[in-house]
Amino acid sequence: MDIFSGLLLGLQTASTLTNFTYCFAGVLLGTAVGVLPGLGPIATISMLLPFTFGLPADTALIMLAGIFYGSQYGGSTTAILMNLPGEASSVVTTLDGHAMAKQGKAGRALAAAAIGSFFAGTVGTLFIVIAAPLLAGMALSFGPTEYFSLIVLGLVTSMVLTSGSLLTGFGMVLLGMLLGMVGTDVNSGAARYTFGSPDLMDGLNFVVIATGIFGLGDVLANLENESTRAASIAKVSSLFPTRDDWRRMTGPILRGTGIGVLLGVLPGAGLLLSSFSAYALEKKISNHPDEFGKGAIEGVAAPEAANNAAAQTAFIPMLTLGLPGTATMALMIGALVVQGVQPGPNILVEQPALFWGLVVSMWIGNLLLLILNLPLVGLWAKLISIPYRYLFPLICVFTAIGVYSIRNSAFDVYLMTLFGVLGYVFRKAGAEPAPLILALILGPMAEEYLRRALLISHGNASVFFTSPVSIGTLLIAAVLLVSILLPSFRRVREEGLQEVD
Amino acid sequence: MKRREFIVLGGTAGLLASTGISFAQDSWPSKPVTVISAYPPGGTSDILARLVADILTAEFKQQFILENVAGAAGALAGGKLARSAPDGYTILVSGSAPLAANKVVQTSLAYDPEADFEPITVLAASPALLTASMNAPANTLQEMLTYARENPGQLNIGNPGAGTKGHICAAIIGQSTGVEINHVPYKGSPPLMADLLGGHIEFSLDAPANYIPHIKAGKLKALAVTSAKRLAQLPDVPTVAEQGLEGYDQTLWFGIVGPKGMPAEIVAKINDTLKAWSTLPESQALLASFGVAAVLNTPDEMRATVAQEIQAIQPLVDAGLVQPS
Repeated sequence: MDIFSGLLLGLQTASTLTNFTYCFAGVLLGTAVGVLPGLGPIATISMLLPFTFGLPADTALIMLAGIFYGSQYGGSTTAILMNLPGEASSVVTTLDGHAMAKQGKAGRALAAAAIGSFFAGTVGTLFIVIAAPLLAGMALSFGPTEYFSLIVLGLVTSMVLTSGSLLTGFGMVLLGMLLGMVGTDVNSGAARYTFGSPDLMDGLNFVVIATGIFGLGDVLANLENESTRAASIAKVSSLFPTRDDWRRMTGPILRGTGIGVLLGVLPGAGLLLSSFSAYALEKKISNHPDEFGKGAIEGVAAPEAANNAAAQTAFIPMLTLGLPGTATMALMIGALVVQGVQPGPNILVEQPALFWGLVVSMWIGNLLLLILNLPLVGLWAKLISIPYRYLFPLICVFTAIGVYSIRNSAFDVYLMTLFGVLGYVFRKAGAEPAPLILALILGPMAEEYLRRALLISHGNASVFFTSPVSIGTLLIAAVLLVSILLPSFRRVREEGLQEVD
Repeated sequence: MKRREFIVLGGTAGLLASTGISFAQDSWPSKPVTVISAYPPGGTSDILARLVADILTAEFKQQFILENVAGAAGALAGGKLARSAPDGYTILVSGSAPLAANKVVQTSLAYDPEADFEPITVLAASPALLTASMNAPANTLQEMLTYARENPGQLNIGNPGAGTKGHICAAIIGQSTGVEINHVPYKGSPPLMADLLGGHIEFSLDAPANYIPHIKAGKLKALAVTSAKRLAQLPDVPTVAEQGLEGYDQTLWFGIVGPKGMPAEIVAKINDTLKAWSTLPESQALLASFGVAAVLNTPDEMRATVAQEIQAIQPLVDAGLVQPS
């Protein structure tokens, strides 16, 4: 199927009343959870997962995807208006976004974020259209060796580019992989680290862990700043960027989009990295770097474009290789598998309506988000002012229901609570939990591919260095690792990440 | 129609036995039923599990929800079923490994398929197919064996999981010819086929349905059929027995079980519904398109099938031919 007829099919699929309605519901919900602290896309999608079982596969995926990229728009609203990043990936936006808001330019900052996001979303979907079929065509040349190396790269990337100390990142990855070992061995059926408990036989469900760490953990951490929170919601005046704004943000949006598109595809890099890199790049090449942090529009436009572009292109490895680069993508795979769709190179051939429908719906969804976010920004600001004493008990109840409904197990609710407390401890200790979740997901996959690759090669580990794709991937991972040991790069990384903190 | 009478009798007996004990069962299913599928989507076992869920949903006007619990050749799914309540709201549809072979193949299995499961029926059966990638050093079974003899220890044959019928079929070929086979387990058919298409592994022994289109398109080579008769969809592919292994006849089957103690009347309801469905000509055509043929025996016949399978595999395990790696 060529791109044109694919897009036509996608338009047919995405424009049915049902799919359009669910796309709208998805982006609306996404914006809401992006705005609300303590409720991210992971917790929301896992709660809604059981609800999608009754929907057709394309409708379910269109809605879940809408929640995911919608939350990127919502996250920036709170970042700008209140200096509170609704999502981790909007942390950078607070730096200049909130500074602009304090100068009375909140509307222009919001417009820069929304326009940047919309442009990046459009380019991101276009990139999927071109790159996904290419990668799917190449996917057959990816055997267990190549998959293993890609996963190693993903884990190394998530470790190196995490905020906080490298050693902590390494520890979090190891802890995640260890947690991933719990359960039944895939090849022999032997029970590992289950301590005789039948509840642990199926392993630790990452949705339970992620909901605990990101959902409950966020609630616990946010309780501390309840008193300071309501202090300032900036007023929104004119939403129209000035001619000077346009001139200053065009370049950053283009560059941010480019960075986001590329980093979104890289497993383990994710949205946080793309927004951070885009910000760092703009600051580096700007001829007035001193303005950054004090309300430079470039510092809003570039990271917002980057994280939204990455939110679109993160779908590429998930759909074509079945390789989840982020926890949200692992949830999407779960949603597809329930529907009888196995993500992988054949998805374009076997499920063309699903693939193209999703791509077109993403563009429609981005357009809807532009409309939803600019004129309705006042409404979202109101949503933020819901007192925590109403919001947080609600979040606790919904996460508990969501986790319980996965397999009707009270054990999972206790497990989530335990990881909620751990999530709070991680935050206090300055340990970023994202690498842990990714390692929990990718660790068991890495083990499966490593063992299979070695079985096929009769125990000869040199296969990882003879396959060009594998050696190339491992080299990139090695360069990443070595580079952070170099003092000069280390300084750059620490400076950059400090800004984000 | 002896079987049918038996089912009716059995069902009636079950009904009588439970009268007065529970009214809840009369209204089964009063809430959604979970159908566990032991393999990832796309393989024959999973296609059949989805089919069963659809048939039962249509018949009982209640959602039968499919849940994929893939891994450890179905042992994860088997363990999950064994731990669920025997109230008729959880059943398992799977190839034979978690229902029989795992008991002797996997030394640390968390459940006993004979003691912990209530047989419902063997749904369907099909031969297995020995398939090779285009870059494989063989075009026939004998060429593969010659390659294995000339390169000892180098023959890799992929299977959809340790202890699956594909694994057993390959082990028997190894046992009767004396060649050394390196068995490579996968999480079900789709990832195995992807590796075979990409040439990452040279041979596979698996249910035929997924492979047939690729064989017809010239992207994979079919080497041998494991049953005594050739496969209708691939009339040119000789059987294993025709290629020198006399008497070789292996069939893989897909069965449905519930947890031990599941009420007999619910077992009978499911069995009756599927049996009635399977007699329709369009049902048989549908099954044929998946490369399988309907069986639909009684729960007791299925119990015997399971026992036979375990007995047949025991000597292979004793000879050290099917250890999971």
